Amino acid sequence: MIKNWHPMYTLALVIGLLALYPMFFGQFMNFGVATLLLAGFALSWDILGGWTGQNSLGHAAFVGVGAYTVTLLAERGVHPVLGALIGAALSSLLAWGWGAATFRLRGSYFTLSTIAVAEIIRLIILNESWLTGGAEGKFMPDLPKIFGFDLFDRKVEYYMVLLFVLLVLLFTHWMRYSRMGFYFKAVREDEDGAMALGVNPNKAKQLAFVCSAAFTGLGGAMYAIFLQAFEPETFLLIAFSIQVALLAIIGGRGTIYGPLVGAFLIAVPSEIFRDQLKEANLLVYGILIVVIVIYLPKGILGSLEYWAYRKNHPLEKGKV
Amino acid sequence: MEIFTQGTQALIDGLLTGGIYAMIGAGLSLIFGVMRLINFGHGDFVILGMYSAFFANKVIGFDPYLSLVLVLPLAYGLGFAMHRLILSKLLGASEQTTKLATLGLGLVASNLMLLQFGAQPQTVYADYATNAFVVPIGGLEFRISQARLIAVVITAILIVGLNWMLYRTELGRAIRATAQNRMGAELQGVDTKKIYAIVFGLGMGLAVAAGVLLIPLLSATPTLGTTFTNKAFIVTILGGLGSLPGAIGGGLLLGVVESVGSSVLPLIPALNNHFGSNYRDAYGLIIFLLVLLLRPNGLFGRTVKRV
Repeated sequence: MIKNWHPMYTLALVIGLLALYPMFFGQFMNFGVATLLLAGFALSWDILGGWTGQNSLGHAAFVGVGAYTVTLLAERGVHPVLGALIGAALSSLLAWGWGAATFRLRGSYFTLSTIAVAEIIRLIILNESWLTGGAEGKFMPDLPKIFGFDLFDRKVEYYMVLLFVLLVLLFTHWMRYSRMGFYFKAVREDEDGAMALGVNPNKAKQLAFVCSAAFTGLGGAMYAIFLQAFEPETFLLIAFSIQVALLAIIGGRGTIYGPLVGAFLIAVPSEIFRDQLKEANLLVYGILIVVIVIYLPKGILGSLEYWAYRKNHPLEKGKV
Repeated sequence: MEIFTQGTQALIDGLLTGGIYAMIGAGLSLIFGVMRLINFGHGDFVILGMYSAFFANKVIGFDPYLSLVLVLPLAYGLGFAMHRLILSKLLGASEQTTKLATLGLGLVASNLMLLQFGAQPQTVYADYATNAFVVPIGGLEFRISQARLIAVVITAILIVGLNWMLYRTELGRAIRATAQNRMGAELQGVDTKKIYAIVFGLGMGLAVAAGVLLIPLLSATPTLGTTFTNKAFIVTILGGLGSLPGAIGGGLLLGVVESVGSSVLPLIPALNNHFGSNYRDAYGLIIFLLVLLLRPNGLFGRTVKRV
């Protein structure tokens, strides 16, 4: 390994490589934006799921809140950037209340409650058509240009989403060695132990949930702009939440770049077999997660990191 | 008055539907009670049952209920094999890990059905599906759907049979011993790995049987699996995870809540027709959340009671 390799170099390298994508794969822009967005959702999910160890299967709700907020506000003439920020704020507000109610539950009970809450939110959005357009969904109205960039141009969208991914990655890098991040990890490793050391696990989980939801909501707003027309079934089903969670888990939970790796590793074969699979695109996820869980329980990147660590520390037997 | 008649009718419908929910929940509860494993693919296996009945009907021309004879052993075998080949590799792993594996298996099942049968709903026609017995009580007439009644009777037979097996046979004793203490059972010569596989097979059988019973009432759609997984969770949380009698109570309660919620709430003028069958799935979920938050051990149990 190169000496004095700063983590920020990796970040710069990853973002730099991703920034080159439109120049080489200009004809696959839809794929690029969609995959990067999914990666962004998975990265946001990982703040709660990977670092704090709380598996949520309801993150689709935050995508929905972000998407509907920006669209409904844009219809009323609010600037999309402001709309997206309000969407993120509403998402985190929702997560705050949601977390306050459900974090008293542990482990699988929490996961079950997230499914329930997300389903209730989906049913509300589906049925309150006076606000949300119901099952028919919503169209994104014409948006004003930002600094002369057309928001419906795929390349502009790509860089916008890349900025979003960069933001989440920077946050994760900062969080990793912050007091907050140590609280999160403590709660993940041993909740009772963390409590004994003076960490309030419920507060830590709630904080992680709020951060995770804010980023997911922001991404949701971008998703709405990317799709232009969407309906509740597009991203409010549990299947979408599962997809986001599995991307992060397959890539490697709590590894910073794992969800990004997972998103691209899965998106490419899904895209190749698109014609054969049609709507059954989650088949790839299903098979992969079973294989990963059995053979690489730390996820792809997590296992690589572990392997590299063990190679450099042959005498240690503990965990990374 | 209308509220009363409608309410009673809703109660009857709810109890009948609840019987099927009870069976879905019983499968999940049995698996959890013995293996401490929450099966996130349970709903997809219910759908698998619906499609196998549909398939048996289309290819062999079996009546949906008759196809149980064929489908149940197959489902048991599939569950047994699934545990032997895949889930048994995860015996020492954490709850989170095995949960993900079942989620993945459910995804594989539902997406394979999607590939095979397409996304459009499939129905099996049965002439008794819309028939109903009319029961006159005090000048009012209440309808009891035939298909649902048959479903409830079959559910009752299966659950009573399961209970008999658990409490009156040597295998049942081994299963209960494994549920209580795996190590202890192992020391007494019980092959607990095999017991786990058997229990997973039985859970799968219950899920698939519920699907078969549902097919005359409901058209099959591959993507409906998560809805049924949800219902199974609701039923088991209401009754307490791992308790069979609890699953029956929870199932009946869920059926009644959904049915009463969707037919009585529209009759209350203050709600302005806003809440009705459109929120059908939400009523159960709200009760579920309330129970989860206020009484996580279930409505009936003091603590998590094992099978």
